[in-house]
Amino acid sequence: MGDLGRIHQLIIPLGNYKMTFNLEVIVMTWIVIAVLITFGYLTVRKKSIFPHSFQVLGELFVSGLYKLTEDALDEKLARKYGPLTCALFMFLIISNWLGLIPHMEEPTKDLNTPLGLGLMGFIIAHSAGIKSKGLKDYLKEYCAPIFFMAPLNIIGELAKVVSISFRLFGNIMGGAIIILVVSHLTYSILLPPFLNAFFGIFVGTIQAFVFTMLTVVYISVQVK
Amino acid sequence: MTVDIQFIVNASSYIGSAIAMGFGAIGAAIGVGYTAAMANSAIGEKPDSSGTLFKTMLVGQAVAESAAIFALVVSVLLIFRKVPAVGLHQAAAALGAGISMGFGAIGSGIGSGIPGGQVCLGLARQPAFSGRLIITFLIGSAVSQTPAILAMIVALMLLFIDFSNDLITAAALLGAGISMGFGAIGSGIGSGFPAGEACIGTARQPELAGSITTNMLIGSAVCQTPAIFSMVVALMLMFMKFSHAPLNPTWAALIGAGISTGLAAIGSGIGGGMAAGGSCEGISRQPRSVGQVTTIMLVGQAVAQTPSIFGLLVSFILMFKAFPEATTVSAAMALLGAGISMGFGGIGPGIGNGMAAESAAKWVARNLEKTGDLMRTMLVGQAVSQSTAIYAMVISLVLIFVV
Repeated sequence: MGDLGRIHQLIIPLGNYKMTFNLEVIVMTWIVIAVLITFGYLTVRKKSIFPHSFQVLGELFVSGLYKLTEDALDEKLARKYGPLTCALFMFLIISNWLGLIPHMEEPTKDLNTPLGLGLMGFIIAHSAGIKSKGLKDYLKEYCAPIFFMAPLNIIGELAKVVSISFRLFGNIMGGAIIILVVSHLTYSILLPPFLNAFFGIFVGTIQAFVFTMLTVVYISVQVK
Repeated sequence: MTVDIQFIVNASSYIGSAIAMGFGAIGAAIGVGYTAAMANSAIGEKPDSSGTLFKTMLVGQAVAESAAIFALVVSVLLIFRKVPAVGLHQAAAALGAGISMGFGAIGSGIGSGIPGGQVCLGLARQPAFSGRLIITFLIGSAVSQTPAILAMIVALMLLFIDFSNDLITAAALLGAGISMGFGAIGSGIGSGFPAGEACIGTARQPELAGSITTNMLIGSAVCQTPAIFSMVVALMLMFMKFSHAPLNPTWAALIGAGISTGLAAIGSGIGGGMAAGGSCEGISRQPRSVGQVTTIMLVGQAVAQTPSIFGLLVSFILMFKAFPEATTVSAAMALLGAGISMGFGGIGPGIGNGMAAESAAKWVARNLEKTGDLMRTMLVGQAVSQSTAIYAMVISLVLIFVV
């Protein structure tokens, strides 16, 4: 139980500045990426009009997520942001499921991963907003309803990044802590598999979906 | 005058047992009454099947009552438990266990009364589907009991685990009790809404029973997130080592951490439940809408949970930041204030966001072509409602970092 909040770190001093790498997270992220690349390769290999099993799975994923993007944005923008939606969802779902395998850790359990993805969504949404509305109209929105509300509007936008990344992080890490404490208290008898199924599969899927949808919806709020 | 530790531990056990039973009785009583009221109106509607309805009412009341029975168990344990007193942390643990169980039972009592009442109304409408309806109702009320069970687990852990004997641990244990107790209220009430709507919706569209039950389960499981956040904060407060930190401001930071997540979870739990209730109703009105309504429910619930996420953020900062030793009490009060500001500030926006999500989910079901517009309106409205939680978070952060 002593490893509640313990992190393996590699610290490289660089002059006065220290660069910190969370080794576990990096390795786990690479594993997720490798799984996704393998999946992608198996999906597009030997494409045919009578799809093989991997092709069916890939088409299901892509067309379903594409449809969701289309619901939130319009058709033209969905062509542009569809790949982002698919990539984000697949990365997150594999990340959240990874903890089910013993000795593996979810990359999303570390705040850096969700925060990085949240910042990415934030930058994409706002650059899309500037592109579609023009810089002047974009800036004007911050001064609504009155100009002195601007600081609070800016904090409100930043709070979206905080909420989207802490939602994922809190759910995954909370599940991991509850599993750790309960397994310790019950000497790993009976309960842990059910908790793993609930927090890993169910909550992991829901949170991956919510994160993806919120990223798309933030883009749609900025664009329109 | 020397202070006898045994005396203090006993005294706080008694106070704790009173809190557990007194507050724990509130919710169950309301829930039981609601079930009876709905059963009355159902029997009035359909006097022929009064026998079945009467039996269903009794089952519903028994389920709702169990929250109070959990509280009774913890209360009796607190009174009659005999332990040799070694430190003040036992007093704090007893008080924390009482708060956790007492407040934690409120929500589940009310929440599990709602499906009990609605199933009576549903049975009056569709007596032929009583088997299906009763299964939906039992699943729904079992899920609504989850927060009370989490609260009872935390209360029993506080009572029966040996914690280290110092004053910082005492503050942490009190914080853990506060966090879990208040945090269970919202999720308990909230997960009653989808369960109730699922019962009445199954009666309206019996052939949709499967997809309504699935939707209810997803909705009420996501609605447990605020209670799970509170439990995580409670577990961290119980099991992390704080003894190296200076006592003076840290005790307030730990209690503040409990207050922040615990109170902020109330609104988010209720709000998430309202969104899930709206979506169950929507699906029962328009079977083709399952996909879109579930999506908008999840997005709405996610936004409704934002205040509890802010509460979690403030709690994490309060737990993990190393505060310099202070000689005056004002530094401690600033940290306690940070927890109070975020905690109470998070209640309203959670409920408000839930209202927006509820009506969005209902209207998407009636107007499937306009899903995009409705979602955008919901999000913009929620963003404005959210701003009060953001003000509260700004004040909390100022109290922690600037003062």
